[in-house]
Amino acid sequence: MNDGAQHELVPEHTVVDDPAIEEVLAEYDIERTDLPKIKRRDPALPDDAAVGDVVRIVRDSRTTDRAVVHRLVVA
Amino acid sequence: MSTNATPKEIGTISFGLMNPEEYREMSATKVITADTYDDDGYPIDMGLMDPRLGVIDPGLECRTCGQHSGSCNGHFGHIELAAPVIHVGFTKLIRRLLRGTCRECSRLCLTDEERSEFHERLTRTRELGDDVGDVMKAAIRQARKHDRCPACGAGQYDVTHEKPTTYYEVQDVLAADYAERIAAAMQPDGEDDAGTSPQELAAETDIELSRINEILGGEFRPREGGRTAIERALDVDLTEEDMNKLMPSDIRDWFEDIPEADMRVLGIDPERSRPEWMILTVLPVPPVTARPSITLDNGQRSEDDLTHKLVDIIRINQRFMENREAGAPQLIIEDLWELLQYHVTTFMDNEISGTPPARHRSGRPLKTLSQRLKGKEGRFRGSLSGKRVNFSARTVISPDPTLSLNEVGVPERVATEMTQTMNVNERNLEEARRYVANGPEGHPGANYVRRPDGKRLKVTEKNCEALAGREDAETTQVVEPGWEVSRHLVDGDIVIFNRQPSLHRMSIMAHEVVVMPYKTFRLNTTVCTPYNADFDGDEMNMHALQNEEARAEARVLMRVQEHILSPRFGENIIGPLQDHITGTYLLTHADPETGEPPRFNETQALDLLRATRVDELPEPDGIAEDAPVTQQGDGAAVEGGAYWSGRTLFSELLPDGLDLRFRSAAGEEVVIEDGRLLAGTVDDDGVGAFGGELVDTITKEYGETRARMFVNEVAALAMRSIMHFGFSLGIDDESIPREAEERIDEAIAATDEQVEELIAAYEAGDLESLPGRTVDETLEMKIMQKLGQARDSAGDIAEKHFATDNPAVIMAESGARGSMLNLTQMAACVGQQAVRGERINRGYEDRTLSHYAPHDLSAEAHGFVEHSYRSGLTPREFFFHAMGGREGLVDTAVRTSKSGYLQRRLINALSELETQYDGTVRDTSDNIIQFEFGEDGTSPSKVASNADTDVDVEAIADRVMAAEFDGEERAAFLSSERPTNLSEYADDRIEPDAEPTTEAAPPTTDD
Repeated sequence: MNDGAQHELVPEHTVVDDPAIEEVLAEYDIERTDLPKIKRRDPALPDDAAVGDVVRIVRDSRTTDRAVVHRLVVA
Repeated sequence: MSTNATPKEIGTISFGLMNPEEYREMSATKVITADTYDDDGYPIDMGLMDPRLGVIDPGLECRTCGQHSGSCNGHFGHIELAAPVIHVGFTKLIRRLLRGTCRECSRLCLTDEERSEFHERLTRTRELGDDVGDVMKAAIRQARKHDRCPACGAGQYDVTHEKPTTYYEVQDVLAADYAERIAAAMQPDGEDDAGTSPQELAAETDIELSRINEILGGEFRPREGGRTAIERALDVDLTEEDMNKLMPSDIRDWFEDIPEADMRVLGIDPERSRPEWMILTVLPVPPVTARPSITLDNGQRSEDDLTHKLVDIIRINQRFMENREAGAPQLIIEDLWELLQYHVTTFMDNEISGTPPARHRSGRPLKTLSQRLKGKEGRFRGSLSGKRVNFSARTVISPDPTLSLNEVGVPERVATEMTQTMNVNERNLEEARRYVANGPEGHPGANYVRRPDGKRLKVTEKNCEALAGREDAETTQVVEPGWEVSRHLVDGDIVIFNRQPSLHRMSIMAHEVVVMPYKTFRLNTTVCTPYNADFDGDEMNMHALQNEEARAEARVLMRVQEHILSPRFGENIIGPLQDHITGTYLLTHADPETGEPPRFNETQALDLLRATRVDELPEPDGIAEDAPVTQQGDGAAVEGGAYWSGRTLFSELLPDGLDLRFRSAAGEEVVIEDGRLLAGTVDDDGVGAFGGELVDTITKEYGETRARMFVNEVAALAMRSIMHFGFSLGIDDESIPREAEERIDEAIAATDEQVEELIAAYEAGDLESLPGRTVDETLEMKIMQKLGQARDSAGDIAEKHFATDNPAVIMAESGARGSMLNLTQMAACVGQQAVRGERINRGYEDRTLSHYAPHDLSAEAHGFVEHSYRSGLTPREFFFHAMGGREGLVDTAVRTSKSGYLQRRLINALSELETQYDGTVRDTSDNIIQFEFGEDGTSPSKVASNADTDVDVEAIADRVMAAEFDGEERAAFLSSERPTNLSEYADDRIEPDAEPTTEAAPPTTDD
């Protein structure tokens, strides 16, 4: 089986630990649920991501080299 | 009521069902009679036009609030319905609740665990901002799985819904022919089955034998327990389905018992919406102001559709009550009930599927509540989101090359109609009075004045002199400081200009007014591109801005020059086009023989530059040797032979210090050094719209204002230039010599032969198919390929015979208009016509036209046009050409409608997204859509995205430094260590120890 997460076009998804989440939430002054969402069964997610986790996605960007995005894992 | 009152902020809006008691409380009167007016034309009390419901006739007084028509908004009344009816808007929800709750105890058919699970899911869904309706659907689905109510154990039946408003309970009841069915099952059939005797049956089912005999005799109907026992014993089905109709009153009783806790599990707020309120017992009557009647010319009154519908409802309601009191049979009552339901349903929505729409006497379907709100012309899209506005004008547009691209020519008629408000004070008093004195017809005049007490006076031809305080006029009131004057538009005012469809932000831009005679809006041809306008009858809209903030905002953000760069691709979208390009091409193109650009003498040069700021010629490029020396009027000798090259004249428009190298549309290298065009031709890639290098670079490096001047001046110079040279295109410009024509014919004949060979090979079965294609497809592809080559080679032959000064060639090469392909089709060969990307294959059976043999695969028979437009097409070619052309037309028509709808949906989906001050893009409920606008937080029109059009930051910095400081200062400036973000350090919240500002203050330039 192909692992979608390993495809070169799929950016890196990592689960963020709690203190780091707090930092992100504080930076944007938001609740966890205001983050964009990602489905638990999304093939790009790492296996240990559970519903309620926040993942950090680091994408290559043509204009900024690196674009960092956070998403909340939902069912 | 003042229009300048501070707007109130809306805190929350909550939607819910309305308590029937609330309807009664807010009602101004109960409505009991279906009549509207009596014989004298007065509204009948407790009728549909009761004066307590508001007034529409001027002069009458509202009996509820005492106000007159215009200020009284109207008041609701109510009708007490004789029997409850279902509200059509909630039929789906009613069905869900019927299916999900117990028919006996009305509790939700869920176990406690399921209950808490769904409750939890609901809160989570709310937090995530997802659709709560999905959770309800899931809960109902789960509840339907229970055959018995977990709370009271009562058996549940399936509920079916017959649209629009009928509900049935599907029950299994004992079939009428149960005795026969049992007897048939007891009969022996076949050899193995010996049948069942009544004794055996009695033993097996635990029913007394006498009972069994009674049952078999049809004298006793077995109860449910006995029935299932017999069914099991005999393997027979004794039931039939029975549809038990649920009357609205039953449903209402059912819903009344649903506990509040159960409703919370379904996401219904019981405080705000009790489910039984979905069954109407009282109907609100909209105020008369919402359904005004109109008086026709003959004095007859014509009522609104809603009133008609209400009349129907009241009539049936009345009849229902009378019949019930008279003790009419159940059948009649039920019929009337259904009729009442129909009228109430169509009162709210007259476009329900499965229900015939209620019609007017004329046969036109009535426009009831839902129809007033729905759709493009409905209340939301037609009256609230899109309204007709004041201070706007619309007329045909036409070109005016003398205008700046920032300007718009406004007809005097429009300028005198639309106004700007002047706040009169001591300083502009004279000016304001001058406007007023001119009156409403003279331009620039004024249409209205407003006194400090708020009273608005119309300025007329009669009172204008008096209002302006002219001495000879008799006067009581004169414009004084503190007044407001609505003056006409004058030159320099800023207005908003728009052409539909407004597909991108450049479809609405701000222009400066230039008042002009005649009746069209005039605009500079260079702004046709962003508006996508032409002058074949296009109309555009203009909006006059009404307050100072709007005018300032428009001037800073919306002016045309601010939109030279497109946010779509980060290059200029505004720039010279068509004849302008031809003009600059002619001016700067080197003669292939001499290798020199055209020369101009002093008169010619000055004439070319006349419409620009340039009023002094540079040093001439040379002196013609054989030129005569002429005398000027004052006797001074003038060197008549001095000449200037086209490139030199063009260079006059370039900013000093501009260095640039790029490749032109024709492919030659263009060299600009220090603002002088040294080599190359300026054409579409140099100066045109959609990424012309010069306009793009000047906008990015010298600013919008410089770019606007440049575009204006290039357009002006180009027009003079094209007039100097003269430029026209005639049919002879597409003709080629006879021998060329013959060669083209030969080439096409040769291709025809090759095609015939391919066909022969195909028919002999020798054609090998290409990978992934059938032999037929392969043949088609190869033929298409060959014919494509034939057209190209014909084009190549024709091209050789065109002179480089051929106008069509100049246009194609410079990128002004048209292409070499167009020229090929005009002069040499039109080529293959295609429908759906294939050769033409439709028409008759196995052939395209009856002129050809069936299965003729030749080029000619499938739409190859070997003639040119100039030489003319044969009738068959013409027909095929029309087929191809028609497809193009259909495509564009379909595409525009499809893309329009797509755009509407996209806009609706994205319209509420907003970039916040912290750089994030969020929706209205603060969900983050993008963490940084567009990932990089930059506007495409403010940065260059590709390597070739990179903004040279170093060069710009150098230029700024050089302009600001001399050598020493510059060194000092660069070496000084200063904080980069000064505003951060000016903030007193930062501790003082992080403040090195005093020591390393920027060096001042005045020492």
